[in-house]
Amino acid sequence: MRLPTLVRTKPEAPGVHAEPFWSFRPQSDREAGDAIVSNFALHWFPAKISKASMAWSYSFWLGTISAALFFLLILSGLPLLFLYVPSVERAYQSVKDIEFVVTFGSWIRAVHRISAHLMVIAVALHLIRVFLTGAYKNGAGRGQRRQINWVIGVVMFLVTLFLSFTGYLLPWDQLAFWAVTVGTNIASSIPVIGPDVRELMIGGRAIEQATLIRFYVLHIIVLPGLLGGLFAYHMWRVRKDGGLARADAESVLESARPVAVVPTKTYTLLGVARGTAPAVTAKSIEAPETTVNAVPDLVRRAAIATLGTIAVVSIMSVFIASPLEEPANALVTPNPAKAPWYFLWLQEIVTDTTIRIGSFTLNGAFVGGVILPGLLVGLMTIWPWLDRSSSLAAGVWLPRSRRTQNIVFLLIIVFVLALTFVGMVLRGPYWNIYWPWEAWPEIPGRI
Amino acid sequence: MSDTKQPPDRRDFLLKLGTGAGICAITVQAAASMRSLVPNVSYDSPTTVKLGSPAEFPEGLKFLPDERLFVFRDGNTFHAVSAVCTHLGCTVHAEPLPNPQTVDEDGATVKLTHRFLCPCHGSRYRGDGANVSGPAPKPLAWFRLSLAADDGQLVVDLADAVEHDFRLTVG
Repeated sequence: MRLPTLVRTKPEAPGVHAEPFWSFRPQSDREAGDAIVSNFALHWFPAKISKASMAWSYSFWLGTISAALFFLLILSGLPLLFLYVPSVERAYQSVKDIEFVVTFGSWIRAVHRISAHLMVIAVALHLIRVFLTGAYKNGAGRGQRRQINWVIGVVMFLVTLFLSFTGYLLPWDQLAFWAVTVGTNIASSIPVIGPDVRELMIGGRAIEQATLIRFYVLHIIVLPGLLGGLFAYHMWRVRKDGGLARADAESVLESARPVAVVPTKTYTLLGVARGTAPAVTAKSIEAPETTVNAVPDLVRRAAIATLGTIAVVSIMSVFIASPLEEPANALVTPNPAKAPWYFLWLQEIVTDTTIRIGSFTLNGAFVGGVILPGLLVGLMTIWPWLDRSSSLAAGVWLPRSRRTQNIVFLLIIVFVLALTFVGMVLRGPYWNIYWPWEAWPEIPGRI
Repeated sequence: MSDTKQPPDRRDFLLKLGTGAGICAITVQAAASMRSLVPNVSYDSPTTVKLGSPAEFPEGLKFLPDERLFVFRDGNTFHAVSAVCTHLGCTVHAEPLPNPQTVDEDGATVKLTHRFLCPCHGSRYRGDGANVSGPAPKPLAWFRLSLAADDGQLVVDLADAVEHDFRLTVG
């Protein structure tokens, strides 16, 4: 894939890169390093990477897939920006035009919508993978701070959910209007400050133009910008923490064979090591056979993951149409009114958590919509500091020393999935339980 | 550098001054930008709404979607119950009871002809708005009804919740 070389009349000066691009087929290690260092797109890649951290079966490349989906969302969002009008009078009609009038409009909208749904899934799976492998733990390297990256990751997960939720309102259809009614009323159930928080979110006391423009600006500028910034920092920290935790696990596994050194030299004076008799260990990570050049090996796999994601989304978007319900109507609540699928477990919880002690009642909206998810996210955020397992458990799938916490974590995931299933499949009109084989009763539209 | 305390030099002072001024400026600008997002005027629809002449209301219940309100008529007495679920603000639906019943509540007789069901999270209310089951934390609100001085129309004040023994008697 080497691009045509410019005709060179003079030899290059030091630090000058005479060719317009860079090589993806380096002929030497020097050229491979050059392909990273002189490459403005890849400068955040390492020059070399351990084979173990590139294994498909370790990370499933979920982070790369999430990033590819984010990239696709920006790409498919651009044409939508030209076509969508964020006003309550015209939003619904403009989405309808995108869906039925604009050439390839329905496909672009489908790409945007499916990427958004898949991104929620990919980011959640990435988070689950990182937890189960203990990849937030510091391994063999000195001064690692992988906890920070875990916290950044949790924030990015929340931003992803919020991005999805703000996009949900934009078509201004029934689905959108009532999801936002319920979502913002959860905020207003917080004692004392709740109503003010809701008013700030929706820019008034009713869901109207002010709400639409707020969600629109959050959706197209504020949240993507925030996510992009966090993404850059996330990647930088991966590098600065010594790569994936898998690489640490690898170096611990096969190393620790101290090589005898001549104890006469004072390495301290040279600033090379502490103490007078350094133990030089041959880390497998440094061994030539365990690492490969990032160009082309890492780039090739990242390209496969990215192109695969693009292919899957593009094909799915041909076959799966995006729904558009009736225009938003503040007068009629759909029956049943369901939240987007990734919030259905919360809708289930707010249904079941109203607490009555004597005459004192605590609204389920506050217990299930604020306190419980808040506790869950809080616990998740500080977990790296609570996890006291050995650093040997970093970057290892389901290690014995982290068995209990992994089981509890998985139980919570299963519980959330079960609630999601109940909300998605079993709930019918008036939020009653209906088995899949039971027909829903006919409910007159109004009254 | 020696350990003896040196008087802060001018460079140091100016650096701190510049940094401090920069932080102050950004903080105040950020606060001003955030404040601009808090609405000063809320263009809400008025809370006092004319609902029409009392004669237009049928015996029993009438749902007014714009006000999200149920107006009950029993002969010449009226009362109004909110249709906004107290859990998360969805509009409840009224379902007529096959056998209307009369209950005695705090001295006032209430005729229960309907029950209310919420489509969002399954809260259920009795015909007088009392929450019976589901996540609803409190009963549906009752609002004050009155007659307009000018044309005798029924007027509801959506900002004035009243007790459940409130009745407006007309004529």
